[in-house]
Amino acid sequence: MARKLYIFGIGGTGSRVLKALTMLLASGCKLKNDFDTVIPIIIDPDTSNGDLNRTKDILKLYQEIRNQVNEPNDFFSQEIKTVNELANKSSVVNSDYFQFSLNDVDQSTFGQYIGFNTLNDDYKNSKDDKNFTRLLYSEKNLNSNLNVGFKGNPNMGAIVLNQFTDSEDFKRFGQTFSDGDAIFIVNSIFGGTGAAGFPLLLKNLRGNSDIPNSAKIKEAQIGGITYLPYFALNKKDEVNSDSFEDKAKIAIDYYNRTIIKQNKVNSLYFIGNKGNTKHLEYAVGGKEQKNNAHFLEMAGALAIFDFCENIVQTTNETQVKEFGIENDTGTILFGDLNLNNQKEIVKPLTKYKLFAEYLNIGLPKALNTSRWTKSNIWLVKRNENSFLDEQYFKSSEYKIQIDAFNKHFIEWLYEMEDNKPAFSPFNKINWEDALSLIKGNKGKGNKSFKSIDIENCKLITAIDLRSTLDKKHTTLIKIFGKSTEEVLSKKNLLKQEQNG
Amino acid sequence: MNDIFAIIYETLFGLYESQFSLIFDTLYENGGYNLLGLTFILIPLIMFAAFYFLWKYPYGKFWHWLLWLIIVFLITGGISWGISNNEIFLSNNQALIDALADPESGYEEYANTLPIKYALFNGLLSIAAGFIYSLIMKQFSKIQIHLPF
Repeated sequence: MARKLYIFGIGGTGSRVLKALTMLLASGCKLKNDFDTVIPIIIDPDTSNGDLNRTKDILKLYQEIRNQVNEPNDFFSQEIKTVNELANKSSVVNSDYFQFSLNDVDQSTFGQYIGFNTLNDDYKNSKDDKNFTRLLYSEKNLNSNLNVGFKGNPNMGAIVLNQFTDSEDFKRFGQTFSDGDAIFIVNSIFGGTGAAGFPLLLKNLRGNSDIPNSAKIKEAQIGGITYLPYFALNKKDEVNSDSFEDKAKIAIDYYNRTIIKQNKVNSLYFIGNKGNTKHLEYAVGGKEQKNNAHFLEMAGALAIFDFCENIVQTTNETQVKEFGIENDTGTILFGDLNLNNQKEIVKPLTKYKLFAEYLNIGLPKALNTSRWTKSNIWLVKRNENSFLDEQYFKSSEYKIQIDAFNKHFIEWLYEMEDNKPAFSPFNKINWEDALSLIKGNKGKGNKSFKSIDIENCKLITAIDLRSTLDKKHTTLIKIFGKSTEEVLSKKNLLKQEQNG
Repeated sequence: MNDIFAIIYETLFGLYESQFSLIFDTLYENGGYNLLGLTFILIPLIMFAAFYFLWKYPYGKFWHWLLWLIIVFLITGGISWGISNNEIFLSNNQALIDALADPESGYEEYANTLPIKYALFNGLLSIAAGFIYSLIMKQFSKIQIHLPF
C-alpha cells in the first residue's frame, strides 16, 4: 500500500532538516515500509528567511529534476510532492507550495497582530487590559516585526501560529490525508517558531475536529524530532544564545508534561550538542539568517528514516529516542557513525558526491570526446548515439536544474565540514585522485575519473536508461546511479578500512 | 588462398617479372604468398580487435585511431619484409639459390628490391583491411564506437 509521509518543518531548523532530508533522498536513500511520497510542509512566518528560501529552492529543484526522470530507481527515487499538487491533482512545481502561509504576518508588528492598540488602559471599566498584556509581552515583543519570525520568543509564536490550522493550506492537508499516512514534525526547542509551533500543531492534529479527515489524522502515527541547542551566536542582542539552554529546559519540562506523558506522539527524537559548537553569524531572521548546514540536521533527517522503518513497532506509548555516534570526535567520519547509519548513508552519499564532483571536474575531459557524450557517431544505429551530448550539457534544463541542485549539494557538504562538530567524510579531490574521496579508504587500482567514463561508455546504450523528450534527465541520473555504484564496488571503496 | 594472394601481389601490384620467375615460383610453391596474405589480414584484425575491445581508454580521438593504423602498417610491413626476405634468400629451391649466387644473372640485385616492395604493398593492404575492420568492429565496441568517426 502506497503511503505518504507529511513532514512539518517548523522554523529555521525545520527548513534545514528538510534540506538535509532532500539531499539524502537525492542521493538515493529511500523511506521504508511503503512510504513512497514525502510531503514537506514548512511553517515559518519569516518568509524572507535565508534558510527557508534555500530549502524551498532545493525542494523545487528536486521536483523539477525528478519530473524529468523516467521511473527513477536510484538518485531521486523518492517522490516529493506538495499538498497543493495532491489536492488539486496538478503537477505544477512551485516552491511557495512547500510553505504554509500565515495570515497578517507580512508587514505587521506583534502588537498590531494582537490588536494591542485597541485594548483599553482602564482595566477597571473594561473587559480587556493593556497592562495585563504588558505582563506577558515586553515592549520589544510588541514592536517586533513578525515578518522576521519570533526572534526566539515562543510566547509570541504561540499566539501567531495558533491561526495556521484555520488556513486553506491546512484544510488541503486534511483533504489529502489517507489511511496509513503518517506525520513527522521537526522543530527546535530553543528558538521561537519551532518551540511554540510543535505543541500547537500536535494539539490540532490530535484534537481539532474541524480538519477534514480529522479522525484519520487523530489516529495517525506521528513522530517528531526536537532539537536541543546545537549552535551558538556570535553576538548577544535580541536573540541571545546564552539563553538557549535555559529555554530548552523549560520547554522540555512543558513537552514532558503535555506531550510525552500524554502520549501525543508515537516517537519523539531528541538531538543536541553541548560544548563543541560553532558560533554562527548573528541574525534574528530575514535573508541574513542563512545558517551553515550542520551534521545534526542530517542526523535529524536520519530520524525520519528511523521513524518510517520502525513504524510498525510503535505503540501508543511515546517512545523517546536519542541520536548518538560511536566516537566522540570533533571531526566525524563515516566510521564514527553507528552501523545502521553507515548502511543507510555511506553508499548513497558517496555515490552522489562522486556524481556531483564528476560533473564539475570530470566532465570537461570527457565531453565531446568520450563515446558516452557523443551524438554524432557515423555508421551506427540512432539509438547507439548518446543523448548526453554537448547540447544537453549546455541546455537550460541541465544548468538550472542539475547543475544548480548539485551546487547546493556540494555547498551542503562543505558547510557541514566547516561546522562544529565537522562532518567531513570526504577528501578534497581532483581528476587524478577522484576515487580517493572517502577518508580512511584507499581503495584499489586507478583512482581517476576514467573509471566512471569507462562505465558510462558501457552503459550508455542500455534501453532502460534512455531519455525521452519529456524526461530529459533520465539518462544522466540513471547512468550515474549505476556507474558510480559499479566503480565504488569494483574499487572496493565502500569498505571502511580505518576510522581517521 | 595461395592463388588469390598470388594474383594480388603479382598482377594487381604488378610485381611479377617473367625474367625472374624463379623467385615468384618459389614464393608461390613454398606458401610464401599465404604467409604474406595472412599477415595483412591477421595483423590488422588482431590489432583492431585490441583497439576496439581491449583498449579501455574512454577519451579516444581520431588521431589515436590514425596512430593505431600507422602502427599496424609498420608491424605488417616489418613482418612482411622478414617473410619475403626469408622466403627468397633462405629458400630450399636449389635453382633459385644458384641464380642468386650467380652475379651475372641479376637475380640478387633484383631480389634485394623485393622485400621492401612486399613490405610496402602489404602495409597498404593492412591499412585497407584495418579500415574495413574498423567500420565493422566499431559497431560492437562499447568504448571506441565513435572511432574513426
